[in-house]
Amino acid sequence: MTLIMVVEDDHDLAEMLGIVLNDAGYEVDLVNRGDDALEVFRAQNPDLILMDVMLPGVDGVELVRQIRQESMVPIIMTTARGETADKLAGLEAGADDYLVKSQYQEPELLARIKVQLRRRPAPSAEPLALGPILIDQVAHTINRDGKVIPLTRLEFDLLVALAKDPGRVFTREALLSEVWGYQHAADTRLVNVHIQRLRAKIEYDPENPDLIVTVRGIGYKAGQN
Amino acid sequence: MIISLIGTALNSRLTDGIFKEKLNTSLADARDTTQSVDIQLTIAQYQSAAVTKKMVSDIFQVPPTVGDQSGREVALFPIQTAGGSEPNYQGISNLLSPTSIPAAFRAKVRTGKAQMWQRTNLDYLNGRHIPGIVVGNIVRIPTVGNYEFYVLFSLSEQRQTFALISQTLWVAGIALILMVGLISLLVIRQITSPIRQAAQIAERLSDGDLDQRMQVSGENEISRLGIAFNEMAVALKQQISRLENLSRLQQRFVSDVSHELRTPLTTLRMAAQVIYSARTKFEPTVARSAELLFAQIERFEALLSDLLEVSRFDAEAATLELDEVDLTALVYRTVDYVHPSQERIITIHAPDRPVIVAADSRRIERVLRNLITNAIDHREESGVDIYLAENENAVAVAVRDYGVGFAPRDSQRLFERFWRADPSRARVRGGTGLGLSIAMEDAKLHQGRLEAWGALGRGSQFVLTLPKRAGVEISTPPIDVIPSEEARPIM
Repeated sequence: MTLIMVVEDDHDLAEMLGIVLNDAGYEVDLVNRGDDALEVFRAQNPDLILMDVMLPGVDGVELVRQIRQESMVPIIMTTARGETADKLAGLEAGADDYLVKSQYQEPELLARIKVQLRRRPAPSAEPLALGPILIDQVAHTINRDGKVIPLTRLEFDLLVALAKDPGRVFTREALLSEVWGYQHAADTRLVNVHIQRLRAKIEYDPENPDLIVTVRGIGYKAGQN
Repeated sequence: MIISLIGTALNSRLTDGIFKEKLNTSLADARDTTQSVDIQLTIAQYQSAAVTKKMVSDIFQVPPTVGDQSGREVALFPIQTAGGSEPNYQGISNLLSPTSIPAAFRAKVRTGKAQMWQRTNLDYLNGRHIPGIVVGNIVRIPTVGNYEFYVLFSLSEQRQTFALISQTLWVAGIALILMVGLISLLVIRQITSPIRQAAQIAERLSDGDLDQRMQVSGENEISRLGIAFNEMAVALKQQISRLENLSRLQQRFVSDVSHELRTPLTTLRMAAQVIYSARTKFEPTVARSAELLFAQIERFEALLSDLLEVSRFDAEAATLELDEVDLTALVYRTVDYVHPSQERIITIHAPDRPVIVAADSRRIERVLRNLITNAIDHREESGVDIYLAENENAVAVAVRDYGVGFAPRDSQRLFERFWRADPSRARVRGGTGLGLSIAMEDAKLHQGRLEAWGALGRGSQFVLTLPKRAGVEISTPPIDVIPSEEARPIM
């Protein structure tokens, strides 16, 4: 059974989310306070976290940062404030996706959760490489110069998508569709932030990236190495 | 100017005075000299030849030596003599050249009775020329005859004095002019610099720097200006900050309310979705109610989102996230999103290549989505044409339908919030009434334009024009807002 931890301080919304997610076949752990969340997370080891940004105790962005230090579990944030800065803060801290409260419908919520949890097609055992980065698709790890670099599942998928097709230029929309599973994605900044996070982890010089290159006016591609 | 006039007048008065003085003494001197020469020559005719010669040569010795600048010279010429044997008294003192005495003057002296004078140059045989006066007399010696006798006075000393005076005057004049200029400059600066300062500070105030104040010193009209100016600035600042606070409070309130609404609305929306999904299990009236509930909550959400967006514009919190966007791809994508059905009512007329523009793709997509949705809503069975064109510094997308259209006088007002073409007409369609005003704000944020053309029964055309790069002036729009088939020739 897949376990989803819902961190939401509004009891009614938390209950409603519980109903919807239970109906969809997930097991749900409800947590109302930010400062309780880390403990519950350690005890329950959920498969996905759905959490509000504004939380009593520890706020959502800080919570994401703490969780990311010990786990690469998929995290979807929900925010009542649709401001760009609010969205980006969560993503930069390590969240994989975000939803603006009241702007999503139930099917969209479930679709996003499914994307984050999806079972990848049986990965090829072929080792993949991007410059000095060795990608082990079976063990789901990458290493550079003999050192393992921890990546979230989403970052890993993003890297694999780019590395598999080295000559191809991916538009942001294409990446949203292939990695996030969105058909009509509104916000391409989701891609920008994740590319930046990925670069910060794998590039020697994230300011002048040569593993993931920006193609002006179009999107991104794997660097020529 | 005035100073130089005064200077010139003073100069000429002084030189006149000096000259007259010299002339008077010269005339008196000449009269005395003439008399003594007259006496000497009268006496001489009775003396022996040697004595006579001595006496005559003494006449020419009278003036001091050559080169004495205050000196005078004499000249004696016979007019007619009584007898050829008589001693011919004639001579010129020193090295004076006879040309010093103009011939015309000599003629006048010869015919005249009284003493005469004229200005002349004392020409010396050694080449010196000194300005001077020549005074002429007739000396009549009864038995010897008549002689012209001239006394010449050098004016070189006077000329020197004159030069000195003139020089002094010039120096004094120039010094005076400089001083007057300097003083007036200082005075002008004293007056104009506060005015200039006031102008500068007024400019800065109007640029929004409300803390600018004038420096006030002393107690004159200028400082009163400064005080009044500063009072005005203080009042201005208070008024502006009061209004700013009010509007900030109001915007903050709208934004907070909207955000506070979101959490319960999320619950509501999900609950409605659950009920809506189960509507087949209900009685028809309950099922229909579930549908209405669901639809209205959706509408409520759209309205809330639009209100939030509007409050963001009002608070000037909307920011552009510029990126290089391929407008051709964006148009195709938006059309796919808005109208994915197979029934092709939309025709896209776009160049077969990317049209790159620096824009916020999220906002532009929202504008396009709004325009296309509007066109589909109002097309009344007609098709919808979308045109994409570019020129050197701008790109434009036009959305044209041939449906109900609108009265030309409404082409501005339909961008107003919650504006309705006909208030009495019930709203059939959804829509928040904010779509076009948000689209307009998005266009403005890009320094672009959103214009509308419409005619009742002939449809409408909306044109979004964007500069290719931020800050570029749109000189000629790539697409005119009036559709070419509707454009009438200008009479």
